[in-house]
Amino acid sequence: MDVVEQANAERQRRWQKDKKIGEGTYAVVYQGREVGTGKKIAIKKIKIGGMRDGLDMSAIREVKYLREIKHQNVIELIDVFSHKTNLNLVLEFLDSDLENIIKDRSLVFLPADIKSWMAMTFRGLEFCHRNWILHRDLKPNNLLVASDGQLKIGDFGLARDFADPGYKMTCQVITRWYRPPELLYGCRYYSSAVDIWSVGCIFAELMLRIPYLPGESDMDQLKTTFRALGTPTEEDWPGHTKLPDYVPVGQFPKPPLRDLFTAASADALNLLNRCLVYEPRNRITARQALDHPYFFALPFPTHPSKLPKCFKKEDTPPLAEVDGNVGKKGNKGKKRKLSSPLEDGKGRSIARKLDFTKPGSQ
Amino acid sequence: MAAPQEEAPATKGPKQPLYHASTQFRNWRFSFEGLAQVRGSMNEAAVAAIRRKIEADEVLHVAIAAPGSSSNLSFLSADEEVVLVKLYLTKITQLCGMFRFPEEVEATGITYLKRFYLRNTVMDWHPKNVMCASILSAAIRISDRDDRLTALFLATKTSNFPISLETYTKHIPKTVPNDVLELEFLVAQSLAFEFAVWHAHRALWGIWLDVQTLPDLPVKLDTEIYHAALAHVRASRLTDAELVFAPPQIALAAFSLAAPDIASRWLDSKNSGEHRMNPNVIEEIKTLILSQGHPPEIEAVREVDRRLKLCKNPEKVPGSKAYLAKKAEEERKAEEKRAKKADSVQKAMAGEGDPFGNELKKSHTALVDYDDDDDD
Ligand SMILES: Nc1ncnc2c1ncn2[C@@H]1O[C@H](COP(=O)(O)OP(=O)(O)O)[C@@H](O)[C@H]1O
Repeated sequence: MDVVEQANAERQRRWQKDKKIGEGTYAVVYQGREVGTGKKIAIKKIKIGGMRDGLDMSAIREVKYLREIKHQNVIELIDVFSHKTNLNLVLEFLDSDLENIIKDRSLVFLPADIKSWMAMTFRGLEFCHRNWILHRDLKPNNLLVASDGQLKIGDFGLARDFADPGYKMTCQVITRWYRPPELLYGCRYYSSAVDIWSVGCIFAELMLRIPYLPGESDMDQLKTTFRALGTPTEEDWPGHTKLPDYVPVGQFPKPPLRDLFTAASADALNLLNRCLVYEPRNRITARQALDHPYFFALPFPTHPSKLPKCFKKEDTPPLAEVDGNVGKKGNKGKKRKLSSPLEDGKGRSIARKLDFTKPGSQ
Repeated sequence: MAAPQEEAPATKGPKQPLYHASTQFRNWRFSFEGLAQVRGSMNEAAVAAIRRKIEADEVLHVAIAAPGSSSNLSFLSADEEVVLVKLYLTKITQLCGMFRFPEEVEATGITYLKRFYLRNTVMDWHPKNVMCASILSAAIRISDRDDRLTALFLATKTSNFPISLETYTKHIPKTVPNDVLELEFLVAQSLAFEFAVWHAHRALWGIWLDVQTLPDLPVKLDTEIYHAALAHVRASRLTDAELVFAPPQIALAAFSLAAPDIASRWLDSKNSGEHRMNPNVIEEIKTLILSQGHPPEIEAVREVDRRLKLCKNPEKVPGSKAYLAKKAEEERKAEEKRAKKADSVQKAMAGEGDPFGNELKKSHTALVDYDDDDDD
């Protein structure tokens, strides 16, 4: 056996797949454990076979960035191995995500809970940005929550590094509702500020319990944004009318945030405001956000272990029992097409579906 | 290409020293002795394995065996492998220039090719093909999506290199050739899926920004200096420097070759701080760049390549007996596995009693994904 195959086989032997727990657009996710220790892990098996461009870009990005960074608030990529032409990512096991939690109407959020999630999000993001990595797809669904309540930024399928300042980048990133106006206007030289805008939208969503800027199309996204935050003036955002896809979408006055966020503290509103600044250069950075008075004022952030949690995935019957036609030992020969009713309605990233092959979308 | 960019928004300066947490620092750094050892033992193992295969081939087909047996075949030495790979490092530069890939892609492709041959031998995988897969891997990992990739796919198809611009604009391929895809995966595996690379040219840019802030420089800071230093960084890519030294060290050595006085001023200003750099190491790198940083002698490479034709691993040569035998064996195993799987599914369904009744049985079986045999 080749050296490479051998090393790979050794890695593979360390991990045991137990049952399928989900299916994304480009991957099947299994629950499993480390053979030696019994530690619970998730294995994300990327289907490559049919991919005409070879290794899936999202998978590659995820691997490329997660291999380099390790932080309490970023999902840990524990190992990578291949089997035939499948790529398997061994990830830390995470029970749920913020989207699940926000949608669970039985849960009540205290201001201190929201502060805790925001602090963890900013800590993880600050670490990414310090490593010159843009996430480019932040949304509640990608903020995963571990059993101990720790929030972890996950899904680096659209990430890229931005240390080279002169590189043009695609503006077709970030799920629409969380996409900043500079991207909607086709800006190709952007920065970590794009992620901050997304965090602002998530912050608002945690307070409102519904998506803050739910545009129905890219054009409508601009309108929805401006209706909520006022149409930017040349003074607010110098030069924005010169951006490649600039279109005037009407003049909306800026309503006071207070009207919508009636229960928020002044500090919270100030931080929210600074995340949603139109001029990307004036938007708060993750580093600055961590020093914002909001995080030092009372109430202090809830300890992660005390945060509201929704049902654990493991409490739900495994897929095999739902299907009712699978052998008892493992999931051998299980049908792939059937899926648990719990995993739908998850809304894949819109951006990911866009065609990156079109000319000029480098 | 890595020259100052006018359109760049406010520059953030060089990367932070997070290098020490990187996979490059942890897994792809060697001493010169360590490198020689890795290459030597890999070469030895490869020669032994290929010799066995060739012999097996001969025993099976005594009648048609070619004259001369494996015992008098002259296999490539580890050093000869390095020379051949080096030629293809220079070709990466040409190919990337032709497709106008950014410097980042070129540098990354070069790193991938070097790392690949720390785990593989040219007697198994010819660098001509791996080179394409390396650039492809680099390009995909770096650019968001790039039209020029399509062109590169074609270039990889035409093994006659270099190809003309007209050829590729005429037939833009819809799919990537299969062999390149397979190799791309092998490259990824060989890199242990560690794709991020720290480059000296970026570090050089950082030094360049930094020297502008030095007080009372004896000479004028002409961009000529930067470009000269960059040329030395590029030359360093043809050496083992990046497998031994840190990017800032290589960058400083290159800068020092271009402007020794400014480089030592910069080093002095730094050495007061926490970033210590050993001047002896810098001298060592300078010597390395000057002595090794040029393309290999073409005649020497030609000779290596000629001998490689005779000592290639027959299992990896499409069409050879060993290759066909290996494929047949793989196919047989896969078939066996599929049969077993279908069988166990049938049994499971029969045993439990199908809640959907007999009629649906057939379609159930059809839903089984026979390729999904990962979980055994
Ligand atoms: N680290 C993990 N721990 C536990 N479950 C996970 C993990 N990653 C993914 N999952 C589960 O697998 C499903 C599919 O994941 P993924 O492929 O990332 O697609 P998506 O982003 O569409 O949810 C998720 O919805 C989740 O239920």
